[in-house]
Formats: sequence, structure tokens, C-alpha cells
Amino acid sequence: MGNKHLTLKQKLNTEKAAGIICTLPFIIGFLLFMIVPMGISLYYSFCDYNILTPPVFSGLKNYQKMFNEEVFWTSLKVTFKFAFISVPLRLIFALIVALILFRSTKMTGIYRAMYYLPSMIGGSVAVAILWKRLFALDGVINKIFMLLGMKEPVSWLGDTRTAIWTLIILAVWQFGSSMLIFLSSLKQIPVSLYEAAEIDGANKWQQFWRVTLPLLTSTIFFNLVMQMINGFLAFTQSQIITQGKPMNSTLFYTVYMYQQSFQFANTGYGAALAWVMLAIIGLITWILFATKRFWVYEGGF
Amino acid sequence: MKKRILASLLCAVMTAGVLAGCGGTAAPAAGGAAAPAEGAEASSDAAAPAAAEGGDTLVFTWWGNQTRNERTTAALDLYSEQNPGVTFDAQPAAWDDYWSKLSTAAAGNSLPPLLQMDYSYLEQYVSSGLLADLTPYIESGALDASNISQGIMDSGSVDGKVYAITAGVNAPSLLYNKTLMDELGIEVPDYMSVEQFEDICRQVYEKSGVKADLPYMAADNYLPYLARANGVTALFNKEEGRMNMDDPSPMVDYFKVFQDGYEEGWIIGADIHAELQNNSVEQSPLIYFSSPSTQAWCAFFWSNQMAAMAEAAPDDMEIGITTWPSKDPKASMFLKPSQFFSVSSNAGAQEEAAVKVIDFLTNSVEANEILLGERGVPASSVVADAIAPLQDETAQIVTKYINEVVTPNSSPISPAIPDGANEVYDYANQYIDQILAGAMTAEEAAQATFDKGNEIMASKK
Repeated sequence: MGNKHLTLKQKLNTEKAAGIICTLPFIIGFLLFMIVPMGISLYYSFCDYNILTPPVFSGLKNYQKMFNEEVFWTSLKVTFKFAFISVPLRLIFALIVALILFRSTKMTGIYRAMYYLPSMIGGSVAVAILWKRLFALDGVINKIFMLLGMKEPVSWLGDTRTAIWTLIILAVWQFGSSMLIFLSSLKQIPVSLYEAAEIDGANKWQQFWRVTLPLLTSTIFFNLVMQMINGFLAFTQSQIITQGKPMNSTLFYTVYMYQQSFQFANTGYGAALAWVMLAIIGLITWILFATKRFWVYEGGF
Repeated sequence: MKKRILASLLCAVMTAGVLAGCGGTAAPAAGGAAAPAEGAEASSDAAAPAAAEGGDTLVFTWWGNQTRNERTTAALDLYSEQNPGVTFDAQPAAWDDYWSKLSTAAAGNSLPPLLQMDYSYLEQYVSSGLLADLTPYIESGALDASNISQGIMDSGSVDGKVYAITAGVNAPSLLYNKTLMDELGIEVPDYMSVEQFEDICRQVYEKSGVKADLPYMAADNYLPYLARANGVTALFNKEEGRMNMDDPSPMVDYFKVFQDGYEEGWIIGADIHAELQNNSVEQSPLIYFSSPSTQAWCAFFWSNQMAAMAEAAPDDMEIGITTWPSKDPKASMFLKPSQFFSVSSNAGAQEEAAVKVIDFLTNSVEANEILLGERGVPASSVVADAIAPLQDETAQIVTKYINEVVTPNSSPISPAIPDGANEVYDYANQYIDQILAGAMTAEEAAQATFDKGNEIMASKK
């Protein structure tokens, strides 16, 4: 450059400036829409706040109320059940489909796109409503079972034993994004390892358990953490399909939070619920990371 | 090669996402541009033109049903025609969603200038300073209230100031399938007692398998109604922070009906309600069912909802109307402002325009020839008389029901409910679920509601 005093144009052309300018939209957005609201929410969680009137500081009252509230524990139980059943099922499903689609044929691309589709649309309101109709008393699922000889239609959404399962199945069906991640890491495994295994006389089954799975563990771990967080934050399905009914058997934690915040105008309490959820998710993620060294292979190939 | 396929696949997926995102925003924008050009057309679409031409688009939100949405939109169209340049962004919602939407908007200081208000929320909204004082407009004559009776104006006033104009008068009413009852040869009398009502439920269930639909997730309706018959006009005592009764006995009657229904099998259970939108006219089991076991012969609603119910009912079904069962109908029954029109305090420059619309909806005979008393018998006596001959048979039945059945045999309305009451009602709703699952008795539910109520009211004191 030669010249010590850079013109504005030259300053803008430095690498540092480009970096700052390019990340600025994100940084501003992050501060404005994440950090500031989080701070406000933390403050609200220590307040009596009903949305309509200004918040009044009330100390730990909201947190104390929570632990005496039966519905709080119910919603927590429901959420744990949902996350701990749907996430492993979803991952197993994703892995199986990824293994099937791994082999390249002309149609593979189309199949991959098709299986990915539910992940894109699965969290939407439209699919939730569709799901509700599928499992309705006069819905398709009942019609099929009736054709197969069932006598009375089953109230899938109205029975405390089955309602949560309709939501779990919906969640498992959205396996696409995990599947794509599995697919890409399956491709990373060098062919030479399989050739070596074959020479050693390993069959396909042994190859899967001894070569594929161990080398996939870091991907499984990544998927597990991400999906677990998603599972705990699930909202749309319960809010649209069951609204926590029947008898709170499908009351996700987030739905309970929403009800308290906006329907019963206990917004301060709702904010406290949100922070407890953050702590729970943090704890679970930490536990997952703590177990990592026992089962995740992170060496090279 | 494989990686390239994957990469292009991912690209395609992302592009699709972006396109979908753009599509979502592009459509309403186009609508917004088109609306003023087409002579100011109000849209009932939820994704209506967003503030197309700055200040001239008035956002108007209400809860309701299909009939109300259609008629209100048509009346607003008429207003736009008579007042070129004024357009509306109509945002109808269902009752359940309406209040969470409104309170969120209130928190963000973005309440729509024109909104529908309910008696049970009026006090809360006024004390939070969210509604505009309409008194100056009434004094200046911009809002003509000369044909509205003082009693009706009072119900929309807080501390002597008018914050809400009654849109119509209504009363609790039991809507029933008259065609079915005629077929079965069962008569449904006015002023039924709870015993008579249960007797009819049993007969209908035995003869046809059709059940009865009691208010589900709506303890705020029938619970206070039956408590009034036990001498408790206000359930909540805000000043002392407790339930306004010494023991839970005045509430037992309410839970007992559900318990009887569950034990004898004639009640629409939680399993069927799990699939329905709560308290929606269109999804009431009275008219929305697939077999007798999901059908109801009656439903608990309000008189002004009969028009929408008759509209949504199958063609061969005639809807009848009578009082909600109670052992003391005179003590239980009351007339109620079905809903109000209010102007929000953050309407700002649009305040005057919004008041003008309320004046139009209240006093214009032309507008009410479109609305036809769907929100209840019009508050203005001049308008009520003018549209009476135009009303269809259903509306005339409703007017007759209000004037001849309810008015001579009713008591004043209970005071507006305080903060925290809706939470108590929600607990009552959960206990109803327990009763419908056979996990609780009426006495236990009443006791639990009493305990929770005292606890919640104490915390709100």
C-alpha cells in the first residue's frame, strides 16, 4: 500500500473491516433479538407480571410457586417422556434410512429429497392439523383399522394412553435432517476399511457393528445433542394437535409455559419456567458431553 | 461426485426454503398494493394487507364465527364505500386465541385501534389504561349514544367514564336439536331444573344413543350460573383475597351434572372434545359429528350465537333455544352485553376515525341491515326497531327469547371477574377432566376448586 494514511475506501478494503461489516448484521440481530430479550425475561422471572400492568419485583416467588405446582411436574414428566422416546427412535430410523439410501442408484437423489421433506414441513401448523385429522375418530387411521376388522373406532387423541404416541410418531417421522447428516458422514468412511474387513472374512453385519457404527459415533453424538434440545423445546405439535389434552397427558413444558404466560397472564411465572427449562437443557447437554469419552470415537480414519 | 449431488441437493433445499419464505411475504404485499386501487376493499383474510396506505388502514379485530366474520366484513366494505380512502385490515379470531393475541399486543403497545371487548376483561383493560375514554366523543356528538338506554351504557363504563359501546344484548341459552327431539317425541321446556334436564339427557341417550354436550373448558359460564341459584352472585372476593363463600357447597351442583353424565354415559366426554376446538360454534358436537356417539342433542351457548349455529347446522336440522337448566331460573338467568366495541388508547391519530366506525356500526341502519343483530339485539333502540322486520326467522326467535323468556325472569348480571379468576376457572376445567375420567367426585372437585381459588385469590390480593 505504501501510504500510511489509508483513505476510507482503503480502510473498508482491509480484511478486518470486511469481517466486521459482514458479521455486523448478525451481531446486531443477536444482541437485539437474543441477548436483550433474554435479559428482560430474566428480570421478569423475578417479578409479578401480568402483561397488562408493569412488572413488580417479587423475588423468588415464581420459582417457589413452581415446585409446589402439580401441573409443572406433570408437564416436565410429559416432556421427558416425549424427548427420551422420540429422539432415540428418530435417530435409529434416520440411520436405517441413511444406510439404505447410501447405495447410489439413479433414484437415490430423489429418494433422499423425499425423505427429507417431512423434516422441512413437519414442524408446521399445516402438518399438525393434518395429523389431527389422521388420528380423528373418523380419520384415516381408524378407517384403515376398521377395514382390517376393528369394531369400534379408537379415540387416539382422547385417550391418555395413546395421545402422546401420536405426537411421538409425528416427531419420529421428521427424521430427515439427522438422516442427511448420517449420510454425509457415512461417505467419509474410507472404502479401504471395508475392503480390509472383507479380506479378514467379516460379513456385512459384522462390518456394520465393527466398522460403520464405531466410526459414526461422533455423528451420532452430534445428532443426539441437537435433537435432544429440539425435543425438549417441541411446541407446535402439542399446541395444535392436543393442546395438552386429555388430562394434561400431552402437556409439553413449552405449552404449559405458553398457557401461563399468555392465557392466564402469569407472564413472570412463564419467564421463570423458561429459565428452568434452560437450566434443564444445559444439564442434559452437559451429562451427554460427560458420557462422551466412554462411547464416542474421535480419532481419524 | 456423490458429494456434488449432496451439495446441489442441499442447495436446492435451501433455495426452496428461501423461496417459500419470500412467497409468504410477497403475497400479502401484493394484496396490500391492490386493495386501495380496487376501491378500498376490506379483506377478512388473516394475512390481510398490512397497513397499505399508512394511516388510512384501520385494524379491527374481533372474535367470532363464520357468520359474524362475513357480515362484519360486508358492513366494513359499506363503510369504505361511503368513506373513500378508509380501508380496513380485519383480523377475526376464535375466542380462545383472541385473548392471548390481544394481551400480547397490549404488552407491545400495538393494540389494534378498533377491537371487540368482553365484559369479563373490561375492568382489567381499563385499569391498565389500554382503552380510550369515549366520553368526550359522546359529549361532542361524534358518537351518538342518545338511543341507547342508560343501563346498557353503564355496563360499558368504569368510574363514570365510557370505555366500551355495547354491540348487542344477549343471554345464556341452551341450543338444541329440535328436529331430533320432535322425532323422539321429547319436549324441552323453558326454565328446566337440572333434574328435568338430566331426565331428558337419559331419555335421548336411551332412545337414540345421542349424548348431551355440557360446557367443556368453559367453567366460567355454567359454574357461576349454578352458583347464582345457590345465592352466590359473585364467586370471587377480590378485596379479601378469597372465594366469596364459606365452603365449597355452592359449587357442587355444577360438578354433579358432569359426574352424573359420566356415570350414566350420556355426556360428550373428554375423548371427543380432544379433537374439537373448544367453544367453537362450527365444531360444536350439536352440529359437527360423525356418528350418534359423537353427536349431542344440546349445547351451552349464548343467544346471539344461535344465528351462526343455525347457519352451520345441516340443512335438515332445526335448532331450538331455551334456558340453561337451573333449580332457580330467576336467580340464575341474566342479560349481558354480548360484547363491546372499544378503541385502544394507542390508536393515536386513528382514534377519531375509529370512533367514527363505532358510531357507524352502532347507529347506521344500513350497516345493521347487514349485521342483522348477529352480535345480539342492537343497543340502539332505533336500530333494533328498524331491523326487526328484516330479521330472518332465527333472529326473531332469539329476540322473542330475550324479550319474553329471559327478561321477565332474570336477575342483574354478576360483577366483572377480577384478575386471577380465569386461572381458577382453568383449575375447575381440569377437575372436570378428572370427573370425566372417573378419577374425581363432584364433592372432591368442588373442594379442590375452593382450595385453589382461595390460594390464587390470596396471591392476587
